[in-house]
Order: sequence, then structure tokens, then C-alpha cells
Amino acid sequence: MFGKRIDTAGALGFIAFMAVLPLIFGGNYLIGVLTVSVIYGIWAVSWDFMSGLTGRENFGHSLFIGVGAYTAGFLNTTFGFGGWWSLPAAMVMAMLFAVVIGLPTLRLKGPYFALAMLSSAVIMQRLMLIFWEQTGGEEGINGIEPLIRSQLGFYYFALAVLVLVTALLLALARSHWGLILRAIRGDEATCQAAGINVTFYKIASLVISAAFAGAGGALYAHYQLQVSPQLFAVVTSITIITMVYVGGMASIYGPVGGAILLVLLTELLRNFGEWRLMIYSCTLILILFFLPNGLIAPTWRRVKAKLGRPE
Amino acid sequence: MSALIEVSGLSKHFGGLQAVKDVSFAIEPGEIVGILGPNGAGKTTLYNLLTGFIPYDSGSVVFKGRDLRGLAPYRIAGLGISRTFQLCRPFVGMTVFENVVVGGLGTSGGGGSELDAHAHALLRQVGLGGKEQLAVETLSYGDQRRLEIARALAAKPALLLLDEPFAGLGSGEIADLSALIRSVHAEQGLTVMLIEHKLREFMRLVDRVIALDFGEMIAEGSPEEIVRHPAVIEAYIGRGDAEAEEQTHAA
Amino acid sequence: MLEILIHGAVSSAIYAMLAVGFTLIFGVARILNLAHGTFYALGAYGAYFFTAHLKLPLPVAALLAIAMVALFGVFVEKVLVRPMRRSQLAVLMITLAVALVVEQALFLTFGSEYRNVPAFVETKFTIGGVDVGGQRLLALGASVTLIALLWIFIQRTRLGSAILAVSQDPEAANYMGIPSDRIFSIVMALSAALAAAAGVLAGPFLTVQPTMWLLPIVKAFAIVIVGGLGSIPGSILAALMLGYAETIVGYLISTSWTEIVSVLATLLMLIFRPAGMFGKRAAF
Repeated sequence: MFGKRIDTAGALGFIAFMAVLPLIFGGNYLIGVLTVSVIYGIWAVSWDFMSGLTGRENFGHSLFIGVGAYTAGFLNTTFGFGGWWSLPAAMVMAMLFAVVIGLPTLRLKGPYFALAMLSSAVIMQRLMLIFWEQTGGEEGINGIEPLIRSQLGFYYFALAVLVLVTALLLALARSHWGLILRAIRGDEATCQAAGINVTFYKIASLVISAAFAGAGGALYAHYQLQVSPQLFAVVTSITIITMVYVGGMASIYGPVGGAILLVLLTELLRNFGEWRLMIYSCTLILILFFLPNGLIAPTWRRVKAKLGRPE
Repeated sequence: MSALIEVSGLSKHFGGLQAVKDVSFAIEPGEIVGILGPNGAGKTTLYNLLTGFIPYDSGSVVFKGRDLRGLAPYRIAGLGISRTFQLCRPFVGMTVFENVVVGGLGTSGGGGSELDAHAHALLRQVGLGGKEQLAVETLSYGDQRRLEIARALAAKPALLLLDEPFAGLGSGEIADLSALIRSVHAEQGLTVMLIEHKLREFMRLVDRVIALDFGEMIAEGSPEEIVRHPAVIEAYIGRGDAEAEEQTHAA
Repeated sequence: MLEILIHGAVSSAIYAMLAVGFTLIFGVARILNLAHGTFYALGAYGAYFFTAHLKLPLPVAALLAIAMVALFGVFVEKVLVRPMRRSQLAVLMITLAVALVVEQALFLTFGSEYRNVPAFVETKFTIGGVDVGGQRLLALGASVTLIALLWIFIQRTRLGSAILAVSQDPEAANYMGIPSDRIFSIVMALSAALAAAAGVLAGPFLTVQPTMWLLPIVKAFAIVIVGGLGSIPGSILAALMLGYAETIVGYLISTSWTEIVSVLATLLMLIFRPAGMFGKRAAF
């Protein structure tokens, strides 16, 4: 039980830290960076829940992000709905896409599923460009209304969403849902032989993952106030997977730290201008070689172990 | 008393190969029935057909009065048939305890403390009581076999299909495992089907034997009858003395 | 009609070169190489660089580009991929990272404008009333020749048999004295060279810019799914199907729809016959 109390303390400490940070240092720039990192956190956590637990790496997470963002964009501009409709609508659309794409692709083995999802995201990107008359093409959709006027207010809202999503997915991962997903990673046939409807759980976890990715996408749309086909790009999916790697695969909470770290890194690299993406990609390779188990989750576990030892 | 499972005219071919041909038998509740046959006789294929992993070409399988045709493997498992596999397949990356819990999740409708208690009890029963928190990768092969059985039992099956449970075990471990199977069978009135090559232990365990060769039933009867059955002897010894020698040595 | 026949053939030929290389390295080493598209890109850019900047004659530039890309492929396999082989995700990630690094390197060196790769054959031919660029015909002919040569190489030479052995069971091949690690490198070199050759041949008439690696990967994947992973005949057949499907769609509807064809084909195949036409384990 001591372990659980440390976890709760750690979580509360982190939330407090994130809440207080903009109050201490102020400035819209910091709030902006924090907001982006929180949204990436939502995307990373949602990815980890499905792919981290089942081991089915989804290389097309950007698909659900883009779907959510564009749904928000359309709803807000073309159809004139108020911003608060965006989140639920984005989630529903993303979930629909997850069912449609998940059904044929989830039966594939690991890497093929990854590539199938990658292809789907690429095609969505193409479709946004092909139908430029409806979607705004390269420019995308502009003039989306902010959800909350105050920058700080929106940040707190996004942070709240992150906390909620992480708590929810962490609870699911620790419940028998998580056990089943991890067992599916272990051996699908044996799961079937144990009476588990593997197909249902695979699709359900993809749907849940997609729902929150879409929610994040809607948040992003109302933050940037515009959406473009770039959201569907491969870079987005890979960035998120890198964040999960850094955070610690299958930990659910680790990716939050991974997201913050990597967004910070990207900001620091801003000075390098054109070299940014290059340095980023090389960093990715280094991480793959030297941090296969991640940074955040293993570090936290070590901290807990140290604290758990009696003085 | 109607049979627990009734198989009629079951057939399956793969391309040009007839893996299972017109197999028919019935098993009463509480029996331990052994499936005997040389390698390639179609025994594991039979299991795959019964549990829905492979669709059969013709024939029928009726379990507890219910036709199993077209049902997905997880539904058949949910109806009360559990199986183990020839090669141990534990859920890697999880503990022994978690493995057993998952075994029961498919049929218990949501887990919870009742399933946990059941899992603890099963692990004690198979002799893995002190090893619950170990990662499955660290278990010895004999222990992995026990885990397989505990996991299969977690689903509270009416019929348990064992596929070569003694494979890869030493004679001491075989005796232990055999005793375990017998005790589980006695306690819960479980019906057991058993594929095995280790003849000596096999003959001691089973009430009745069905012998297969090239996918067809060549004999059915008590262990004593089967051992003397000409077709069975030919199937085994006719394959070359080496194999029969090896089996009597290993048993 | 004849136009479709010829242009479809050209497309199919280029796709076949890409898909065969992709399925080759998978069939032998079980590596889904997401950097495969970059070999194609580097082939095209190499030809451009050696002719435009180093002023080398085209044939020399082409061969040099192909050779260097082959070496690069070996480097990627040996240094970056082999340590990651324990995890398929890691291999995917690292090859994708390599693709991104190459894309950025090309962008930083050459900028994002489209570059001109010189053609071997400048003249236009007219066949049966249809105008076809000579370069396209060359691409078609060269690709057929190269794939045929590869096929003969694998079926008839000792090295080819070694490759087949390794594709079936690398460990067993090792016990037989076949150095599977070296075979992996050789196959990677072949795979990269084929892709680079496609880049050199197709560069003159297809777009050359830093992100040109992505679509070929999506299409190669589609072809390989439809044809069956690890099967060269399957890849060739599927490449033909895709090449023609795209050409027909391009003519009947519009060129911007052509990419959808590959994805649609992939999705449909996955729904109805996930093993592809020639099944997963049909090695060659």
C-alpha cells in the first residue's frame, strides 16, 4: 500500500507543479509551450494504452488526431456550432474511424498493422489535399474560435483533461482490462482458448485510444485556431511514439513526462531553425539505442524503491 | 445419461492431405479418455477442430447438447471446454498469478475477488503456491506445465483437453503431474481428454483409449484391449522398432 | 487504350523494382525496412548531384549513385538495424528514423524545390500513334532486365541458393556454414541497389524532392500485402496490377486519385485474404 501512496503523492505533486508553473514564471510563451505539451501528453497516453499494452504498435495515431481536429474545425466554422460541441463530436468521429479501420487491420501481425495504420494516415492526408475545395487544402481550416478566451484558463482546462484521461486509462490498465490486453500481447490463441473475445478487446482498445486522441485533436484545433493536413503527417505519429518510448512503454503515466520533455526539447531546438527536425530524428535514433526501456517510468520506479526502503 | 461431448463423422483435409477422417466417438461426463496415435496421426488437429481453431469439412461436434459448428474458439471455451497446448504458451511479461487470473477472465464475467481467490486456490492445488509473483519466463518447464493446467482450470471447464502434458518432463515430474491430473479429476468430476506418447503413465491414467492413425480411428477400448489390438501394434511398431523402443524407454 | 497499356507498364515496372527489393529484404531477414523509400530518393538525388555538381557523365553518375546507395543500405542494416532485431517495433522505428534523417539531410542540402535528374534518353518515341518518352521506355526495359537478372541469380547461383536457405531458416543455414549475417548484408545491398536504380531511371519523369520516400513505401507495402510478403512473383504480379489500376484511374478519373488505389487495394486484400495472393511464407 505504501507504493500506492507514493504514486498518489507523486501524481498530486506533478499536477500541482504543472498548475503552479505558469503562475510563477508567467508569460504567454510558457503557457503556450505547456499547453502544447499537455495536449501531446493526451495523445501519448492514449497511444500507450492501446499499443503499449497490447504490443500492437500503431504508426498512424495521427489519423485519429487529424480526424478529431478536422471535426472540430468543420463543426465550428462550416456548421457554426459552439466550441463545446467539438470535444464529444471529435471523439465520436475518431471512434468511428477506429472501428472502420480497426476491423480489417487488427487481425494483422504487429509490423503489418503498424504499416497499415501508417498508410491510412498518409491517405487521409492525401484526401484532405484532394478535396481541397471542402477542406481548405494545404491551408486547412482557419478561424476556429478559441474554447476559452483566457490562455491560462484554456491551459488549465487542457491540463484537467490530461489528468482525467491519464487517471481513467491508468485505472483501466490496472483492471482486468489491462490484464487481458497484456495477455493478448503474450499469446492471442491462448486467450481465445480461455474464452476471451480477443477481437472485441483489440478493437475496443483501439477505439478508446482513438477517442482520446481525437479529443486531443479537438483541443489542438481550438488552441491553434486552425487545422491543416500536416496534422496527419508521419512526423506527428513518430513524435508521439518517441514520447512513449522516453516515458516508458505500457506505463501510461510515463508518456506524460515523455511528452513534456520532448516538447521542451523541440522548443530549445527552435534556435537551430532548419536543423531542428534533423537533430530531432537523430535524437530519436539515439533514444532507440540507449533508452529502450524509457527514462521516466524506470526512474520513477527507482525513486519509489529508494523511498520504500526503511531508513 | 447423455454424453458430454459427441463427435460424429468428423473430417478435415488440408489440400491433398486427409488429416482427420470420419472420426466418431462419445465421452461421458467424468471419464478420462486417452487419444493415442503416432506422430502425424491427427491428434492435435482433432483438438483444433473440437475447440474451433480450425473449421471442419464435415461431421458434427455436439457438446452439452449444443452443436458447435461455426462457433469462434472463445465461445466454445466459454461453453466449458478448456485446453492446453503441446508447447507451453504462458503469457509472457506477466506473473504466474496474473496468468491464471486471465485464464478465468473469459468465463467469469469480469474478474473480481472471487476470481482472485479461485486463482490462489488453483495455484496451491497445482503446487505453485509459493511462486505466484514470479515472472513466467523464470519458471522451469515442469512448473510451466503446471501453470498451463491451473490456467485451463481457471475457466471452470466441464471438459479439459490435454495435449501431451508430459512432453519434456522427467519421470519424477511426470508422476507428480499425473497425480495432479488424477486428483483434479476426482475432486471436480472433470471430464478429461488426454493426448500423450508416454505410454506407461498414459495407460495408468485413462479409463478408455481411442487410437488414431492417419487421421482415422483404428481402435477404441480399455487400455488393456488397446495394447493388444493388432491395428494399434502395427501402427506403432510397424513404423519401425526404433520409435516403439524409444517410447517404452521413455515411459 | 495503347497509351494506358504503355504507361501502365512503365508504372508497374518502377513499382515492381521497389516492391521486389522491399519483399526481398523482408523474406530473407524479416526486416520491414521503412527506409526503403529513401534508397529510391537517394538514387535519384545521387544521379542529380553527380551530374549537376560533379559534372560526371550520366552513366558513371548513375552507377556511382547506385553503388553508394547499396553501401548505405549495408551500413543501415549492419550498424542500425541488426542491434535492434530483437524487437520488430524497434526495427520499424529505427528504419523510420533513418528515413526522417535522410529526408532532412536532403532538405538541408538541396532545399525543397524539385530537382532535375537528367534522362538517359531525351528523345520521344511514337509507338502506334502514342507518344512515349524514351526514358520511360528505358525504365521499363531496364527494370524488366534487372528483375529477370535477380531472379536468375537467385535460382541459379550458389549465392542465390544461400540466400534462399537463409530466408527459410537463418539458424539452420548458419549450422550449414552459410554466414547468414553476411547474407543479410548482401541482400540489403541488392535491395537498396534495385531501389536506387528505380530512382535513377524514374527520376527524370517523376518528382524529385526530399519527401519522395514516403509514397513509394506506402505503395510498396500495398503491393507486398496484395502479392504476399516474401514472394517475388507475388510482388511482380501485384506491381502490375497496381501500376495498371493507377494508370486507369488516372486516365478515367484524375491523377490525384491514384494514391487512393493502393490503399484501397491494401484494405480490400486485408479484409478478404490477408495472406495475399501467394501467401506469406511462399519464400521465392
